[in-house]
Amino acid sequence: MRTLGILVAALTCALLFYAMGDFPPWADPGSAAHTHVSPRYIEKTMEETSVPNAVTAVLADYRGFDTMFETTVIFAAGVVCFFILRLPKKEGPIFRRYRHTLTGMTIRVKCTRKIPPVLEEFEMIDNLWAPHDLIIKTSCRILVPFLQLFGLYVIAHGHHSPGGGFQGGVILGASMILLAISHDLRTALARMGEKVHALLCPIGVLIYAGTGALCLVLGRDFLDYGALAGILHVDPVTARSHGILIVEIGVGLAVMATMIWIYNNISSRGEYDEGL
Amino acid sequence: MSQHYPALLVTVPLLSALLISILGWLSRRLCFPVAVAALCVALFSSVGLLFRVLNEDVVHYFLGGWAPPWGIAYRVDRLSAMVLVVVSAVALINLIATRRSVEREFPEKIGAFYTLYVLLITGLMGIVVTGDAFNLYVLLEITALTGYGLIAMGEDRAPLASLNYVYMGTIGACFYLLGVGYLYISTGSLNMADISAILPSLYGSRVVLVAFIICMVGVFLKMGFFPLHAWLPNAYTYAPSAVSSLVAPLMTKVMIYVMIRLILTVFTPTFTFSRLALNHSVVWLAVIAIFMGAVLALGARDMKRMLSYVIIAEVGYMVGGAWLGNRAGMTGAILHIANDAVMTLCVFLAVGNVVYRTGGYAFEDLKGMFRKMPYTMTGLVAGGLSMIGVPPTCGFFSKWYLISGGVQAGQYGFVAALVFSSLINAVLFFRIIEIGYYEPFGSDHGHGPAPAPMEEAPLSMVVPLLVVVVGLVVMGAYTGDIVSGIIAPMIP
Repeated sequence: MRTLGILVAALTCALLFYAMGDFPPWADPGSAAHTHVSPRYIEKTMEETSVPNAVTAVLADYRGFDTMFETTVIFAAGVVCFFILRLPKKEGPIFRRYRHTLTGMTIRVKCTRKIPPVLEEFEMIDNLWAPHDLIIKTSCRILVPFLQLFGLYVIAHGHHSPGGGFQGGVILGASMILLAISHDLRTALARMGEKVHALLCPIGVLIYAGTGALCLVLGRDFLDYGALAGILHVDPVTARSHGILIVEIGVGLAVMATMIWIYNNISSRGEYDEGL
Repeated sequence: MSQHYPALLVTVPLLSALLISILGWLSRRLCFPVAVAALCVALFSSVGLLFRVLNEDVVHYFLGGWAPPWGIAYRVDRLSAMVLVVVSAVALINLIATRRSVEREFPEKIGAFYTLYVLLITGLMGIVVTGDAFNLYVLLEITALTGYGLIAMGEDRAPLASLNYVYMGTIGACFYLLGVGYLYISTGSLNMADISAILPSLYGSRVVLVAFIICMVGVFLKMGFFPLHAWLPNAYTYAPSAVSSLVAPLMTKVMIYVMIRLILTVFTPTFTFSRLALNHSVVWLAVIAIFMGAVLALGARDMKRMLSYVIIAEVGYMVGGAWLGNRAGMTGAILHIANDAVMTLCVFLAVGNVVYRTGGYAFEDLKGMFRKMPYTMTGLVAGGLSMIGVPPTCGFFSKWYLISGGVQAGQYGFVAALVFSSLINAVLFFRIIEIGYYEPFGSDHGHGPAPAPMEEAPLSMVVPLLVVVVGLVVMGAYTGDIVSGIIAPMIP
């Protein structure tokens, strides 16, 4: 079996090398990829969509339909993680251990399954408990707002520089995950509960697909942002630029929520209690 | 509105999937009606599109208002319109038929289940309707991802089977993407019609040749064609029954559609059958696939696994037929996409009903089934007869075209494989009839315990099954119209 595997891999490799012989030369300006569709993207982006960044224009306008489904792929990944991992809430009482932070005494309490509120003087202890680390907690807490600000900047600035919904959404999601890692999942969930990010995830994609459907309702083709000109009170070309910003916001929301959703499900093994 | 049909049949299910996902957290009761409504709209637009295509030949739709090759275009012809109708109809019937079993299996996660279900259909519809090679890949990802999730929620070793499917499916998708990348390098375009217009001057290029091979290998992997079929039996066996009866009729069939689309539209048959002398080897692989599928089905100890191996044989039928390189073979392959989808749905729905009542799908669970669930077993037998190829069911007609294609091409190995597999199918289904009808044997001449009372599956599961059974015969009766009206104009 192992030999067979190596043989198949070698064969595939040989096939790919065989094809490389007929590739156009490296960085050849006359090759098909540079002469067929690209010139229009490079030359006309500004006058057709009023977006300076050609990559963003191709991503969210010329081929915006692909990007909508890429966002849907991310959404689907979140739903699949939830579908497979999330456990139903268990019934009945449970024993929890609490440590009194001032005296160091540990008590055992019988309570319901509901996650108790965070208490000032007591901290919950289970087999994943680690003594809290003041330096890590504080430095991460300071970092989080700056991360989020930067995420917003990346989303909004996709028109002019590298960035956009996917990258900005990942940064926003990472900020919440950092909070969950440095503190615990309860702290992060207190700021953004399960229902919130599980709803934000489809809502983000809905902003994208809904914008497309709105264009259809307004009488143009699906995702033809030019139709939004009447609503936004701008000319059709600027409407394209605004349309791109709207869908980027949708992408950002969806990506952020999915990141958090997947992390929460995996780190708490679907139980949504303690986290890592 | 009718000019928006191509967009509606993809975007309405997509928007509904998002809505269902939201409703799953607010009001679970509404998830199912929304899903039904979405698929009804999809079916309505597919049928409307089919009638438009019969008049206008080809329907274009530019997404975002950008003309191809700069933007993404939908291009619907007779072939894709037919497959669209099949996909949306099968998905809708299965959705209604499996409502009860879904409610029983996933009481807490109905929202997530229907979200994934409708997304899967969105992906399949998008694959069929698109005229853009890269857009096809993106939708392939959606289909695969939702499929993995749905399969993993089955019983027993389902997560492992799904993981195996993840590996194989990802490799398949990567190969397809690599092929599209190679095509882009040599043509600079992603639009299928545009690529096929540029390609004739590049037929000698090694890049195009390798792109073709890689794309085909990727698609073969995805459809479970013979040496690459290992993921299929476990995935389809352990999946929840509502999922088995969705993916088994649709996934492999849509991938065969993709293969035929690549052969007919992107690379054109002249290139496919003359540039490489590969078609004989592929037909021989198909022959092995059919033999293997038939023999392994004979060795299976439960119905779902048996049917999974039958599907592997059926994939062999269609790939073999398409690669025979003549009109009859291609006609048979295309016709079999529709017929096989309907008959696979029929048998899997029947098995789903049995699972709903008895909780198992091993052959032992079938004992005395004809007395207990007569309608369900009628459905199973009708589907079985169609798989064997007994007229007037539709299975007979597509098999007839495939066999005549094999004879015309002089591929007698393929003809022999088809006949052999039909015989094996006969053995398989008559064994089921025997177990269901005659067992348990009366040990002491009718003085044994009283026969089990009739305990049919709920009406909402039986009626869709019987609708599918009627569909088998109706499709058989209209074969002539389907071939002359839809398939014949598609084949150059």
